[in-house]
Amino acid sequence: MLPIILLSVFGIVLLFLGFLKTRAVLLPAALLFILIALGAGFLEWNKSYLYFGDMLLINNLAILFSTIVLISAFMVVALSGDFLEDEMAQPAEYYAILLFSIVGAMMMIGYENLIMLFVGVEILSVSMYILTGSDKRNLRSNEAALKYFLMGSFATGFMLFGMALLYGAVGSFTLTDIKSYILLSHGRPSLLLYMGELLVLIGMLFKVSAAPFHFWTPDVYEGAPTLFTAFMSTVVKTAGFAALLQLLSVSFSAIYGFWWVILAAITALTLLAGNLTAVYQNSFKRMMAYSSISHAGYLLIGLAALGQQSRSALVFYSLAYSLATISAFGILLLVAKQHTTDGRPDESYSAFNGLSRNNPLLAFVLAVSMLSLAGIPLTAGFWGKFMLFSAAVDRGMVWILILAVLMSAVGIYYYFRVVIAMYFREGQAGRIRVAPFYQFILIAATALTIILGIVPGLFQNIM
Amino acid sequence: MQTDLLAILIPLLPLIGFIINGMGFRHVPKGLVGILGTLGPLVSFACSLLLFTGFGGQTIKVPLFDWITVGHLNIPFAFQIDQLSLIMLLIVTGVGSLIHIYSIGYMKHDEGYGKFMAFLNLFLFFMLLLVMGSNYVIMFIGWEGVGLCSYLLIGFWNKNTSYNNAARKAFVMNRIGDLGFLLGIFMIMGAFGSVEYTEVFEQAAGFPIGDATVVAITMLLFVGAMGKSAQIPLYTWLPDAMAGPTPVSALIHAATMVTAGIYMVVRSNVLYTLSPVTLEIIGGIAIATALLAASIGLVQNDIKKVLAYSTVSQLGYMFLGLSVMGYTAGMFHVMTHAFFKALLFLGAGSVIHAVADEQDIRKMGGLRKYLPITYWTFLIATIAIAGIPPFAGFFSKDEILMHAYQHNKLLWVLGVIGSAMTSFYMFRLLFLTFFGRFRGSEHTREHLHESPATMTVPLVVLAVLSIIGGFFNVPEALGGEARLAEFLNPIFNLSRRVRPSAFGETLLTHSEEYMLMGISTAVAIVSAIAAYVMYVQRVSLPEADTVERPVVQKVLYNKYYVDELYETIIVKPVRGLGDTFYSFGEFIIDGIVTGTGWLVQQASGQLRRLQTGSIGFYVFAMVVSIAAILCLRFFVRF
Repeated sequence: MLPIILLSVFGIVLLFLGFLKTRAVLLPAALLFILIALGAGFLEWNKSYLYFGDMLLINNLAILFSTIVLISAFMVVALSGDFLEDEMAQPAEYYAILLFSIVGAMMMIGYENLIMLFVGVEILSVSMYILTGSDKRNLRSNEAALKYFLMGSFATGFMLFGMALLYGAVGSFTLTDIKSYILLSHGRPSLLLYMGELLVLIGMLFKVSAAPFHFWTPDVYEGAPTLFTAFMSTVVKTAGFAALLQLLSVSFSAIYGFWWVILAAITALTLLAGNLTAVYQNSFKRMMAYSSISHAGYLLIGLAALGQQSRSALVFYSLAYSLATISAFGILLLVAKQHTTDGRPDESYSAFNGLSRNNPLLAFVLAVSMLSLAGIPLTAGFWGKFMLFSAAVDRGMVWILILAVLMSAVGIYYYFRVVIAMYFREGQAGRIRVAPFYQFILIAATALTIILGIVPGLFQNIM
Repeated sequence: MQTDLLAILIPLLPLIGFIINGMGFRHVPKGLVGILGTLGPLVSFACSLLLFTGFGGQTIKVPLFDWITVGHLNIPFAFQIDQLSLIMLLIVTGVGSLIHIYSIGYMKHDEGYGKFMAFLNLFLFFMLLLVMGSNYVIMFIGWEGVGLCSYLLIGFWNKNTSYNNAARKAFVMNRIGDLGFLLGIFMIMGAFGSVEYTEVFEQAAGFPIGDATVVAITMLLFVGAMGKSAQIPLYTWLPDAMAGPTPVSALIHAATMVTAGIYMVVRSNVLYTLSPVTLEIIGGIAIATALLAASIGLVQNDIKKVLAYSTVSQLGYMFLGLSVMGYTAGMFHVMTHAFFKALLFLGAGSVIHAVADEQDIRKMGGLRKYLPITYWTFLIATIAIAGIPPFAGFFSKDEILMHAYQHNKLLWVLGVIGSAMTSFYMFRLLFLTFFGRFRGSEHTREHLHESPATMTVPLVVLAVLSIIGGFFNVPEALGGEARLAEFLNPIFNLSRRVRPSAFGETLLTHSEEYMLMGISTAVAIVSAIAAYVMYVQRVSLPEADTVERPVVQKVLYNKYYVDELYETIIVKPVRGLGDTFYSFGEFIIDGIVTGTGWLVQQASGQLRRLQTGSIGFYVFAMVVSIAAILCLRFFVRF
């Protein structure tokens, strides 16, 4: 609860800091604010509280998801040093919007009332529409923002309609009320409830870019400034899955038989669409967009096979995925700056050719993050996949498991293309200068990926 | 709390040494490399001593963290400090430290000095994990880790192809054993639902004797021990492993790593006690290994090869001890063997160092005058290994033979024959190397010199230990208190519970014990005299390789043609099979693989077309999908 208030205030403070002559103070201030929020979050560890007239529930699970969001945000902000040098950029506004969007994400994570979910989703989405279009001189960025906005509004409409139907059936927006309604209905809840659940689900699945609602993702991710793409593909996804988990596990676990088939079908579709399309891409950034779709597929396994292990598996996977994704985008930022084609940064695979020769550290960081995304053992990504897959085994969903394993194999193909480019291709990449703090963030993310890969038990102890 | 810290420090310090020397290879100054590399093991040894003195008899568990939790199986990363691991800790860090010090002198002029020290430290780290871990999985990490270091160090001079082949041979043979070990661990998981020693043994104690699962587990674990501790049929890698630098032979291939198999069996003594069949098989393999290796040792001419076969043979003795449930005797021999065999190897290293890297004993001789310290220490070690009282080897070997006698007279007879051979080949080695006149070139002779202090000091320390090592466990018949046996006693509590009869009071009278001791001592001395007569009085030299030998000697000299046998019946067929599969794979498997790749590419190309970039289409797709979902859910029954 405290972090939400703090971040809202800090966002406004940042806007005022933007009036200062010197921009140098903005970055440290934003980082400090996020750290304070992170610390404040843990004040409520092991206590479960309801706030705002029972609209918001803060428990350990919510704190863990919030921590992942805050860590991702911290890393993204830490990698944003370039904005301070860009004349046209408005860092104060960007940071403020980022902080506000985290508030939205936290509301999505801890909601107890569907109104709260809606407000959270909208805060996060509107922030994202703005950030996507923040590179005003770039036509692609503008187009992406508009696309995102149009499609997003459309999806929001469905979600809102679904909520209305749920209210019609239950007479309340509270998750626990919905649950008790289902339990009291003796297995014959009203049709409105089923319709409402499906529509809310569809709205949320759009936000986490599950197929067949994923079409916006590649275009938006590619058009948005790389840093905000990193933010979108981690924070939005983590918050979205936290919200879905909350919705399905609290309210609708009693009618699991109704929705699991649909979710399983969507999972399969998402895995196929994400992985198969990623194979054909020549742009690293676009590949990462499809990769984020495919990871949504893996995360969906945890929901479709909702059970004992789902919570910890989803938290662990989100963390592993966020760490690897942000460090990959961090490297992309550095490398793309080196080569420009038509005045735009070169984001294709070939930009990475021969990176290991002069920049062994950067190549190593990217290689580890690719290994983790591909789910190779001794990285966090492996255990994430392992936990999700074992959740599926508990439910006996063998066919989805086979598909997921096959698709992981396809994933290795496109993740390793960049590794091959870095280590085995000749290239003229010179030595890239990296700020010490930037380097520190990359190393820390890589180290954490490896540590979690060797000792997953460390994390499981916290759960 | 303090014990926890000590227990963590012991493996951590060598690891730190490895990281500094390994990462800073070529950057750390040469003088510092040796100091850094040696400091870790020395402080670890000090920590082990502190642990030992502060040990109160209660098993201590030091949990570090929960490592893997899958379903109901929880594998913690924890250390277990008890009597057995303490003894192993002292041996590993103590002998390890001495050999590190020795390496400073021995390897200083090698260009890979820093790398060598780093590997040695890494080895120590894994060896310590192996003996300290509180469950089979940690033991397995250590087990694999020492195997890796052994491979790296055998092939340390990797410019020489035959050395690389030796390294590969060791690696492959160990892998065969490791597979057995791994399967054993899986069976343990399946049968007991845990890999923690305490839980497994507690549960196992409730099983009946001769239970099929336990028999299978113990057999599989013993396959692992065969590989690591060089027993028939997986022993041929150890003599070849002598390609590595001599300190490596001393530390890894004599004193510590190769005894891991014995440690593992002693650790699992409950399981083995429950499975008399396995013990019988171990006994057969052990005595066969002991005799086979000793007989090969009789005619070898390479100073390190003789010692290598001697090691294989002594490992056979240790397993012999275990197979007749003389677990303490086996551990006792591990300890004394670590002292005198490390000493022998280091002495051999000192000799090789002096005669310009010559290893053929036919080209040595008369080194007594030039290398006095090496000579005296080598002599002590030879007496110790030959089993002549009151040096260390006598007590430990005698205890093994005593247990064998109680169990089965035939085993004892064979054991005594083996010890006669041991005494003969060791004294033969000693006489050919240090007595007579020097047979090398004039040039080498001028450069003969005693080794520097960093090398001789460890020799002297080990010599002292080889003399007094036996007094740690003097049998009662000789008025001793059998202190080691007393100390290790709690380890075998569970075994005693499941099979009380096997642990009863000894049936031998004192006079019988005296007789056994007398016989084995007499045999050793007679063999030594025989060697003296042959090689010092008659000055007969082994023939050059070109000379035709009598059949028996030829078979022995060629190590029973076992390598050739393996080549014909295993390596060649496997290679043939590989060729067959390769040509098959080229055609069919490659076809499938490329076909799949092509299919994925095609699918990807088609799917990509859906991504038109037009919002109208996206929204249309979304609406159609939603309609489809609703239809499916509400109108189709399934």
